[in-house]
Amino acid sequence: MPALARVFRDHLSSLMPLLCLALVLGVFTSMNANFLGVYNITSILTDTAPLLLVAGSLTFVLLLGCIDLSTGSIISCSCVIAGLYISETGSPVMLVLMALMGVLAGLLNGLVYTLLRVPTFVATLCTSAVWQCAALLISDGKPKGIPIKQWSVINWSKFTLFDLFPITFLVALGFLAILFFIQNRTRVGKSIYAVGANEKASRMMGVATTWTKLAAFTLAGVGSALAGVFYAIKLRSSLPQVGTPLTLMAIAAVVLGGTTLTGGIGGVLRTLVGVLLVIAIQNGLNLVGVDAFWQQICFGTLVIVAIILNADKSGRDIIIK
Amino acid sequence: MSQSEPEKPVLFSAERLSRYYGDFGALREVDLTVKEGEIVGLIGENGAGKSTLLKMIAGVEQPTAGQMFMQGRPYSCRTPLDANVQGVGMVFQEQALIRNLTVAQNIFLGREDHFRRHGVISWQRMNAAAARALAAIGMGSIPPEKKIWDLNFASRQMVEIAKVFDIVSTANPGESSLILLDEPTSVLNEAECQLLFQETRRLRDEGHAIIFVSHRLNEVLALTDRIYVFKDGTGAGEVKTQEADAQILYRMMVGHATTGQYYKTERQNLREPEVALRVRDISLKGIFREVTFDLHQGEVLGLCGVEGSGNEAVCSVICGDASPSSGTLEVAGTTFTSFANPAEALRYGILSIPKERREEGVIGILSIAENMIMSNLKAACSAGVLSNRRVSQIAREWVGKLRIKCGQVSDRIMRLSGGNAQKVVFARAMISKARILVLNHPTRGVDVGSKEEIYTLIRDMTNLGVAVIILGDTLDEYIGLSSRLLVMKDGQAIRSFDCPPDAKPEQVEIIKYMM
Repeated sequence: MPALARVFRDHLSSLMPLLCLALVLGVFTSMNANFLGVYNITSILTDTAPLLLVAGSLTFVLLLGCIDLSTGSIISCSCVIAGLYISETGSPVMLVLMALMGVLAGLLNGLVYTLLRVPTFVATLCTSAVWQCAALLISDGKPKGIPIKQWSVINWSKFTLFDLFPITFLVALGFLAILFFIQNRTRVGKSIYAVGANEKASRMMGVATTWTKLAAFTLAGVGSALAGVFYAIKLRSSLPQVGTPLTLMAIAAVVLGGTTLTGGIGGVLRTLVGVLLVIAIQNGLNLVGVDAFWQQICFGTLVIVAIILNADKSGRDIIIK
Repeated sequence: MSQSEPEKPVLFSAERLSRYYGDFGALREVDLTVKEGEIVGLIGENGAGKSTLLKMIAGVEQPTAGQMFMQGRPYSCRTPLDANVQGVGMVFQEQALIRNLTVAQNIFLGREDHFRRHGVISWQRMNAAAARALAAIGMGSIPPEKKIWDLNFASRQMVEIAKVFDIVSTANPGESSLILLDEPTSVLNEAECQLLFQETRRLRDEGHAIIFVSHRLNEVLALTDRIYVFKDGTGAGEVKTQEADAQILYRMMVGHATTGQYYKTERQNLREPEVALRVRDISLKGIFREVTFDLHQGEVLGLCGVEGSGNEAVCSVICGDASPSSGTLEVAGTTFTSFANPAEALRYGILSIPKERREEGVIGILSIAENMIMSNLKAACSAGVLSNRRVSQIAREWVGKLRIKCGQVSDRIMRLSGGNAQKVVFARAMISKARILVLNHPTRGVDVGSKEEIYTLIRDMTNLGVAVIILGDTLDEYIGLSSRLLVMKDGQAIRSFDCPPDAKPEQVEIIKYMM
């Protein structure tokens, strides 16, 4: 079947994450039959929700060929604020407020990068310290549970559609749909691909490169802040360090999904697969009893392997004269 | 050299040397001889093949056909280092020194082993050796322990020559060397040039041979013994310098004038009264100064000049890629001191088609359709929502109109040939609805057939009232396409020529002002 073989080869980079996902599901199911049980699937999807928000919006930053290392700290900060807020009053306005905080955080990253011309990995590493510090200061460095009398405010989050799909997962999917729309059906989305693939050419073509970059970082900020709210709701507490491992996990999800670090190739749908893959691996490792500390080693290695597999070795921008 | 002087032995010769890039011959069947104790000049327009020839002699590029001989023996070199070992060294056009290292470290870069004992480099001995190398070319006054960024351009150039000369002469002690100088004077002032010439002559008198490339005819006439003239990638003849003058060289340099039909001059517009762009006294510090002109609707304005004349920089300013240090631009009734970026220039209808198509003209990993729409995404939007179907539809429309040879419009543009990729770029320009186009070498790396189609496209656009500023590949192209020519030299616009279809100026008239 040469035709099928060609289709397979041409789409290898987008099929690969799906194949990996199938492989991971297969392996863990064979090790523990409960892995694909209804209860565990719901649990996987619940865990997927916040990561989907971060990784989905982080995709745009990676599509630019940039990186955002502040996502985890923004999550921590917004988790702390959201947790405390729910404990005090707890109205739905909070989601809007936190999104606004995300806009500010993302915009800050973008401005440091575009106006001050600080490379993104340094810029976001620095802002990461700022948000982490803010989280620790606001929370006094201690986790704090949301009092039971306020749980009524967030009980909606326990709803599961068909006893399988948790509402938080559905909300995250909705957010992803918005991101997908931005990616494919807006000028900003197209510009992000163009700038990531060849910034010099995009600039000469009249693409507003600065606005494009600001938009991508702002979206990543919003996604992270909303993820923080989800954690506050899910864990029913404000945790000043909940985001620490998530910076790496979000990058792992995007890269495992098949978005390249060099920019211009990938997309949010691939990230959906990447997030499922990362959470399945994490959940599976828990299920077969691997220590939580070992899991970070696992994700670090996975990112490097994924980058090697994704790296375009053919030269990116060749026209045959 | 007088006739009575004994004939000097030939040091280097090249026979029927060619260099092809695909179908494009950058250099075709060139012969060259250089004798010991001789300075040979190479002149020609931009792209005539001088630099290509030097690169092949210096081992930077390989000839696709022909032979070279050094001291009678067949000569070939895979790398510049290889060439050095065989007695050939090149001083590159762009200064190749590492600015944060010292003079001595630069001269012995990659050859530090001579000064190493027990793994430690003796800077003292290296500096002493560097002082000797500098003294060998009469430059003992340059301190070897100084960093390159503390030196003026002339001294840097001399360090580079000392470096090349030292490498070549250590590899071949007591033998004559061949030194290639590619535009060594472009960054030097008058006094520095004289110093360079003096030392070059001294090297010649010691029996070495020098090949000297320059855009400045007076320098070539003053310094060299013999001159080879290049045009369109072939040798156009050689003359002894004492028998040559500027007029003779101008005549040899200019190519055949192509018929007006090739450039569709019958479709050239008469000048319309409406001014699309007013440029007033713009300067860019150190590059060009006080350039003033009006660009009328529907005209093609050629900005001609040799490399470094400032014409490229004027274009970058107009399309928003660079900010001028003074002066104003007036477009669509608004006056600017500069555009913030090309995006702002495009909002006022100015778009540039860059010279380096692969780096700046197209986005290789995006599709043909995306490349076409990128300068005007709004054209495929309704109520802010982009329709991908509309993008493909527009792209297919233009693929048909411009007869672009491609598979699907969703294919990556990097699969297209140079000519077809350039047509996509032109489609983008037309979709952008820009009223002023800056075309920077629009036919570079494009096959002959596509070239003609691109000329037709330029006429199509100007007939619709688009104003075009063009930087051409050859003088012939400049004259053929332009309705007006502005000649730039050393950063100033020094002369303007009207080029009506029935009375185009001669190339010789124009090249006089360029060189």
